[in-house]
Amino acid sequence: MPAEQMGQISPRLRLIFAVTSILFLLALAISPIRDFRKEWKRYKRAYVRFAETRPDTKRLLADYRPQISQIWLPDLGVVDRCTTCHQGITQPTLINASVPQPFRAHPSIPHPVLQWGCTACHRGQGAATETTEAHETTLAWEQPLLPVHFIQASCGTCHRADLPETPQLDRGRALLVQLNCVGCHRLRDVERPQMLGPDLTSIGTKVSRQWIYKWLKEPRTITDSNGNVTVNGYATGGLPRMPQFRLTEQELRDLSGYLSTLQSKPVKPYHFEPRVLAGGKTDPADQGELRFRQMFCSTCHSLSVTRAGTTSLIGGDIGPELTKVGSKANPEWLIAWLRDPQDYLPHSKMPRYQWSDADLYDVTQYITKRLTDTDLLTGVPELGTPTTDEIQRGRRVFIDKGCASCHVIQGIPVQRELGPDLSAIGARDVSQLSFGESKIPRNLIAYLQAKITDPLSVNSAARMPVYHLPPEDLDALTTALLSMTGPPTSAGLQKLVVSQKQGEFHPAGEFGRVYERYKCYVCHQFNGFGGTLAPDLSYEGSRAQRQWLIDFLKDPKTVRPTLVLRMPQFNMTDQEATTLATYIGAALNSPQVDAATIDMKQFTPEKAAIGKQLFEGKYACQSCHTIGATGGYVGPNLNNAGNWLTPAWIEAWLRNPQALVPDTIEPRRAFTDDEIQALTAYLLTLRVSGKQQAATQVARAANRSRKSEERP
Amino acid sequence: MKKSAFVVLISLLAGFAFGCKTRKPALAADPVRQAYDSEADWSDPQRIIPLNYDQAQGKRIFYTQCVWCHADATPAGPSNRSNLNPMPAVMNDGTVMNKESDEYLQNIITLGGSALSRSAMMPPYGQVLTQREIQQVIAYARAIAQPPYQPPASPGPKYTAR
Repeated sequence: MPAEQMGQISPRLRLIFAVTSILFLLALAISPIRDFRKEWKRYKRAYVRFAETRPDTKRLLADYRPQISQIWLPDLGVVDRCTTCHQGITQPTLINASVPQPFRAHPSIPHPVLQWGCTACHRGQGAATETTEAHETTLAWEQPLLPVHFIQASCGTCHRADLPETPQLDRGRALLVQLNCVGCHRLRDVERPQMLGPDLTSIGTKVSRQWIYKWLKEPRTITDSNGNVTVNGYATGGLPRMPQFRLTEQELRDLSGYLSTLQSKPVKPYHFEPRVLAGGKTDPADQGELRFRQMFCSTCHSLSVTRAGTTSLIGGDIGPELTKVGSKANPEWLIAWLRDPQDYLPHSKMPRYQWSDADLYDVTQYITKRLTDTDLLTGVPELGTPTTDEIQRGRRVFIDKGCASCHVIQGIPVQRELGPDLSAIGARDVSQLSFGESKIPRNLIAYLQAKITDPLSVNSAARMPVYHLPPEDLDALTTALLSMTGPPTSAGLQKLVVSQKQGEFHPAGEFGRVYERYKCYVCHQFNGFGGTLAPDLSYEGSRAQRQWLIDFLKDPKTVRPTLVLRMPQFNMTDQEATTLATYIGAALNSPQVDAATIDMKQFTPEKAAIGKQLFEGKYACQSCHTIGATGGYVGPNLNNAGNWLTPAWIEAWLRNPQALVPDTIEPRRAFTDDEIQALTAYLLTLRVSGKQQAATQVARAANRSRKSEERP
Repeated sequence: MKKSAFVVLISLLAGFAFGCKTRKPALAADPVRQAYDSEADWSDPQRIIPLNYDQAQGKRIFYTQCVWCHADATPAGPSNRSNLNPMPAVMNDGTVMNKESDEYLQNIITLGGSALSRSAMMPPYGQVLTQREIQQVIAYARAIAQPPYQPPASPGPKYTAR
């Protein structure tokens, strides 16, 4: 290179320099541009523009910061940056559905956002600053947002006892118990009960081989023309607890053959008095139907009714549905069962009724003659007596299919946890799920729902039976499963767990014996233990007068006229009723009701007259309570209030009903002390003599049988 | 050759700057399955109305406290409505309910019918339900109204019962 050209740059080189410098500057600009264009920063700026369109701009922007904001709660392990974009989350004026997301305010819930964070309930990635990473499943961060439709699952993560605010979760938990999921799976907070399915040790004495075959093939026997069981408002699921297993024709034959040979405890035939068998003028089946209704068997058992082409089950769901039981059970077995259910199934919830010979005969006649279906066993092949081979193979099918998870047979060990442990299923990552060949979306909810409704779609070797659930129930069950997220991940979360109240109430002595015989706790609550179908009796001793209790127990009269499910008539003896009433009066009292403060002399006829005016005029109590023949159906009938309720209870109740029964719907009113006295005086004058009651009972029974004749 | 190198360089930088963003297809949006809760239209059971959190809480309260007199069918069978004179409004009856403002409904639920010179048969719920719960019941009634409820364009002055 010549010397004069040293230090000179060719135009070409200049051009290259110029271009690369510009490129270099551009490259330097990339970083700030990218930073400026970050998704969360765009939302920050959009919020300012949005706030300027609102009337309360100043307040909306009062604590605006252009940086990332986060909720940091070390105790809960929460680092939630969601408020970076969801900037209006605590602004009460942005609650309206017209406010665009992500600026809408959170509805007001018992757990304020700033004290609980977001991910504790909504899941997702709190620390993420991009929508996709925060809301969805990405490679690095798996936990997606929980859809709001299933959000009650998050309540259930800490609240192990049912909450009134979470009906979907509560329903799902009830279904987990009702469908016997715990037979094969380990679940959180669901204990294995003493009996899941019936003990089959003597099933051969109860049903025929043909019936077993039919039941194993298709447990649902009540269907409408679409093959569905529709249920009208009453509390019944319409689902048999027995799920549908996928059994081959051979397996059906073998299993039904094996089960029909199980007759280890033969039925002792019962001999009725000849007078009863001779019968009266009426057909015993008609009389039995009347008794079946009067005894309120329908409180626990449902029957199907077809009206206008819709089949629905009417009655309770504590016991099995009975529409076709006459074509199922051996009549001799039925009599033995009704006389002593616990002799056949020691853990049955069925009370041991006191039967007169005539009643027992009539009711069994009704069940075996009227609750039948001649078409029930059509399509079942001629099976005959099982061969030794069939019996042996059937026993193997019983074990292989996991029948022993729910059913006991003497000599076959109980199977536990045949299926996977589900106590932490709600926190399972998508990468840990096997979707098989199925085309469903790759998320936990879709997986759970596919698994329940069609187990083979995700796992061709699944042993799990098929469950036909209506969509609401499927969503409820999914919610309950999602709530089981395993043990809390931090000590802070552990402290938040509100556990289930579980104190069993099994009193000793004579009361305990009668209490167990009639299974009072299946429907009633006692100090937090028992069923929820009937009133809580923890304070019954303060509420009811002793003589009324004795009369009621012997012959329960309707206190609430509209209820379909009512107290059954157990035909208790005087001795038993007195035992119960004595114990209730002595032990089941409310600390808020003090009989000693009541001076009966204050309830004068003048006061009662004022009370009557208050009842009918000022407070219009008759809109919900019936007195005489008029009034509403919402509260209990008060015709016999003077014999039924104690004065101390009436006064305490009028003062604050929710203090005595927290979930009562009786509105709390601001009565003055004088008004309370006057109303109490009036209610105590309302008395019905035994004769009048008997008359109304007869009228009601006649009315009911007339209605039954109208039934198709 | 150099030019093509520039082009490659520039496109690389551009790609780096704006990222390779692939959007996943949005989930099939079924408003009912996305909603907190839902309720079948009382007059047309085929039509399902999605409910948000507040409306769903209102639904729960309605079905414990109000349904007995303000609906023609109740969870326990027959309604108490026909026993009452004057007959109470059915909760989804827009022809009656849409005329009343939120404030008026809040007052009649809180204070009862007699306080507003209406039927004494409507009891006061001010001591049983919180103001917030009463608002939720109103939100639910608005959601199920037939014909549908149109909120007023500019709300009037706020009146509180307390």
